[in-house]
Amino acid sequence: MEHHPATLSAQENRKVDGAASQANALAFDRVGMQFPDGTLALEDVTLHIKQGEFVSVVGPSGCGKSTLLKIASGLIPQTSGTVTVDRNNLGYTFQDATLLPWRKVLGNVELLMELRGYSPEERRRIAQEQINLVGLSGFENHYPKRLSGGMKMRASLARSLALNPSVFMFDEPFGALDEITRERLNDELIDLYMRKGFTGLFITHSIPEAVYMSSKVIVMSRRPGRILQVFDVPFAYPRAPELRYDADFSALCGEISISLRQAIEG
Amino acid sequence: MSELTSAQLYQPVPLPKPQGALVRGIIKVLPPLVVAALLLLLYAWIRSNLEPHRMFLMPSAYELWENAFSKPEVWADLGSRSLVTISIALAGLAISIPLGMIFGLIMYRYFILERGLLPNIVALQAIPMLAIIPLIQTALGFGFMPKMLIVAKMTFFAIPTTLLLGLKSVDRGALDLFKLQNAGWLTTLWKCALPSAAPSLFAGLRISASMAVVGAIVSELFFLAGKGGLGQMIINSKIDFKYEQMYAALIASTVLSVSVYLFFSWLGNYLFSEWHESGGKQG
Repeated sequence: MEHHPATLSAQENRKVDGAASQANALAFDRVGMQFPDGTLALEDVTLHIKQGEFVSVVGPSGCGKSTLLKIASGLIPQTSGTVTVDRNNLGYTFQDATLLPWRKVLGNVELLMELRGYSPEERRRIAQEQINLVGLSGFENHYPKRLSGGMKMRASLARSLALNPSVFMFDEPFGALDEITRERLNDELIDLYMRKGFTGLFITHSIPEAVYMSSKVIVMSRRPGRILQVFDVPFAYPRAPELRYDADFSALCGEISISLRQAIEG
Repeated sequence: MSELTSAQLYQPVPLPKPQGALVRGIIKVLPPLVVAALLLLLYAWIRSNLEPHRMFLMPSAYELWENAFSKPEVWADLGSRSLVTISIALAGLAISIPLGMIFGLIMYRYFILERGLLPNIVALQAIPMLAIIPLIQTALGFGFMPKMLIVAKMTFFAIPTTLLLGLKSVDRGALDLFKLQNAGWLTTLWKCALPSAAPSLFAGLRISASMAVVGAIVSELFFLAGKGGLGQMIINSKIDFKYEQMYAALIASTVLSVSVYLFFSWLGNYLFSEWHESGGKQG
């Protein structure tokens, strides 16, 4: 597939082409991170994510998965190596929905556009679109405290989607949700991924979630975090919920699980 | 089944009938009234045990009515003096609230200023108020301004400390969200940190508000010249041996203090109850 990178990052219809196109959307080259207290969080991480790929990262607790996202987004600078990414067009969801409790759903979804200086009419129009897209229509005027955990996360996704990000990072976004809500949101996120065609980098503790969502699963070692193994996920998008009970799916989860156990012990 | 010797049959418990508005009202109002009645009984009992020549210290309801509340001139006096006292209290708050907020903000902005200022704010609070009033008097005289400053000093402490606490408790994720959009410090403050700290600040405002009237009355106790407020009335009635009027002034100052407190409670509730987790309406 030949795409011009500029037109790709530029707008709306970046469709997923089964496999991804060739240009890198996000590249870590020999990235290392040492905190001021001397803790070595990441060591020599090289990871290239192509445009339109959806990559998940699993690893032991405290292995620097979240640090990787913070470095990619520029929240903290790495102490060695280089990162290549267009930071003007990033989406980022946190472990919590991080909605501002004094703003209603609509105001929260408008927030990032407001900070970017969109006009009020444009903000309102785009926010309403995203709210409809994540299935929150009718809840525009609810304060976050009146929403369930899953609805808060949807509002949080809508807030990021409003900027139409070309690279979307997820820091264990569904970790605090119950299984059923989580699986539903997995499907909804895949649906959004296919519509919007962003490049995804997804941190999770759940191997089935990683496999279900991604085209590639990265296993990281315990601290200092390094990339131990990369698994390609062969299943085509869109993915049906039945995939979770597929034998090949289970086999792949099993392999990753073994790799992860080695990461924890080794 | 016979082996389960400890097994028992448990009957269902039907839900209690919802209480009517009247019952709910009584449950809300009755307990404080009962406690108040008990306190009044205690008052009467202590009074009845006083030697007759000391009974003036605790006037009876009849004496209060006869010598204070039945007299229009006492009501007029209470009214005009309440106005004086409340204006001292509000003027003091008008200094301490903005000043306290500015201090809270600059301590939040510059860590080094927090290190420098906070211990001194604590020290300022630790100076006994009554001990420096004579000094303030000597320096600034007997007008409105020194009293206002006394109230400002008494109500200052709670403002910067609660604001700083609130600002420092802002959700890190929310701050990261603003940082990711390259939002400036002022934008982040205005749209994120301040609204988030507002409920904490209002807890401080409530404390300050209830202290303000107390501070105003204390300040007046030392300033007897001219037409003063309730504090002056308290001292004057001592001098004139009109203890019923002293009680009337005490009651008026309590009402005033509680009113200011209630106003700030209402304002905080009005502003935050819709969205704050501690607020009234639950989802």
